[in-house]
Amino acid sequence: MQTLIYGAYVLVWPALTLGVLALICRAVWRDMRAANKDDRDLV
Amino acid sequence: MNDPDFYQFSTLTVLLLLAAFYGGTYLLTLKIRKPQEDTDAYMVSNHRIGFGMGAASMTATWIWAASFYAAATSGYTYGVSGPLHYGLWGALMILFIYPFGRRFRKLAPNAHTLGELIHARHGSSSQLILALSNVMGSVISLMVNFTAAGALVAVLSPLSFQAGVIIAGVGVLGYTLWSGFRASVLTDFAQLVALMAIAVVIIPAVLFAMGGPGAMVAGLDNLTAEQSNLFSMTAILEQGAPFFVAVLAYAIGNQTISQRLFAVNESHIKPTFITATVGYGAIVIGLGMIGLMALTLGVEPMNGDMNNLIPQMVSSYLPPVFIGLFFILVIGSLSSTADSDLSALSAIIMADVYGKNIARGKADPKRMLLIGRLTMVVATMVGIVFASFSLDILVMLVFVGALWGAIVFPVIASCFWDRVTNAAFTTSVLVAMVLFCIARFELVPLAGGAGLFFEILASIGGGIIIALMVFGFCGRRLGAIAGVLAGLAMLVFATGFLRDYTVLLASLTAYGASTLVCTLMSLASPQRFDFDTIRQRVGNYDDHQPTDERPARGGAAPGFAEQY
Repeated sequence: MQTLIYGAYVLVWPALTLGVLALICRAVWRDMRAANKDDRDLV
Repeated sequence: MNDPDFYQFSTLTVLLLLAAFYGGTYLLTLKIRKPQEDTDAYMVSNHRIGFGMGAASMTATWIWAASFYAAATSGYTYGVSGPLHYGLWGALMILFIYPFGRRFRKLAPNAHTLGELIHARHGSSSQLILALSNVMGSVISLMVNFTAAGALVAVLSPLSFQAGVIIAGVGVLGYTLWSGFRASVLTDFAQLVALMAIAVVIIPAVLFAMGGPGAMVAGLDNLTAEQSNLFSMTAILEQGAPFFVAVLAYAIGNQTISQRLFAVNESHIKPTFITATVGYGAIVIGLGMIGLMALTLGVEPMNGDMNNLIPQMVSSYLPPVFIGLFFILVIGSLSSTADSDLSALSAIIMADVYGKNIARGKADPKRMLLIGRLTMVVATMVGIVFASFSLDILVMLVFVGALWGAIVFPVIASCFWDRVTNAAFTTSVLVAMVLFCIARFELVPLAGGAGLFFEILASIGGGIIIALMVFGFCGRRLGAIAGVLAGLAMLVFATGFLRDYTVLLASLTAYGASTLVCTLMSLASPQRFDFDTIRQRVGNYDDHQPTDERPARGGAAPGFAEQY
């Protein structure tokens, strides 16, 4: 049980990082489409 | 400097890695480069950066090389709770600023720096105090990041420390110089994707290469009782508390944050900053776990230097390709922060110094752009020189920390309370700095009445930190209640005790003294300020808006406020 808890305690952070990475990539894709649609610069 | 116990890249491999990183980043910025850059965009893009780019940029900027090393050190020193006490409070610095950021943006939608807002509110002296604190912070950050590059190159290759510093400085300047903040934001995204992808792979890779969670549990005997405790008081007092005190100060004193508050689409400020909070926390706490793994394995940091912990673990347990990924991870993190510091410094000199104090409302956009680029060149040279000579910046760090603490209340109060005056702002910061120095350097014996005096001020400081944090999310009434309760609790528990912790006492004294003086002087003043005038005084510098919306250069045209 302790092994499971410690494993989860360490691995939850890269998992969370992966989730945020996916969220940001999806949002940037949307930013790019919105910028193209409005004919303006992304940044 | 080279250590044979670390895996060593050849000179050619390291040069190719650096050329690929900085060359690729430079090529990326060519996609957005314009022959004639817009002066306002050079400082804050178009004020409409989307949620994705904004969150990526804020996260990448806040993660610097020291984040990994310090989080791992915390994990190694304080055990199970160590990485949390580094990463969590660092992440909350991003979270706690956004409610105030929305207020800054509402007051001055076209601002480029927080200093411009304060200039419109109070005038030059208050603005320049804020600008000075921002400049010192960014110069220190530049130096630390270039130093990290030099150390990494020296440890993992035959190249010298100075070569690493110079390559990083020139590389960052090369891709940021022409397009400024726009280049910084675009490259932040690319750097963050690389950084996150590598972190996602490296953390589990080290864990399973050392034997998995079972090996970690088997090594728990190497931990002391305090290190095994998730609620360790030692970790809270020595690592968590000083960071907690600095949560608002770091955010207010950092132009890289203000710049992004003014650059992202106003309706996206909240999701942008919440995502950056989670992203920063996850990466930094995750990499801090490598320090905890080293502790459970009984690894001794090479030469007693805690900064060697992560490279040592990666070198010991992973194949060379992972060491290459780690190299890119550190170079990416330090470069994303360094380019943001260059952009921040150029914006401060362009807007706060030239725009508001030299040109005084008649700023020439082309000259301003030139000043911004020259600032970047000079700042890079200063960063390289400071890093190359390994200058002792401890005193500078102490004063910047104090200055940031001293300006928190005056800056926030100036944006919400119409009675705060320029004299109250300036005097309160100066008094707070003097009292900070007396406490920090124990210029008077901190015993008896003097000790009690500083503990009362520090208790007020502790109360005001809690009050401002709660106020940002829950409003004035709950903020006041929380502040009073925290202040009273501090008075009960800190009296006779806090004088033994001079660093914490002095930091809290800076908050308390500035709050007290600013409040008393403001209450004594009959002046009332009309906040609507701020947006009339802070405008764009380029002529890129329709005539009926265009503000005057360096200050908005009459009637500008009515459009909001």
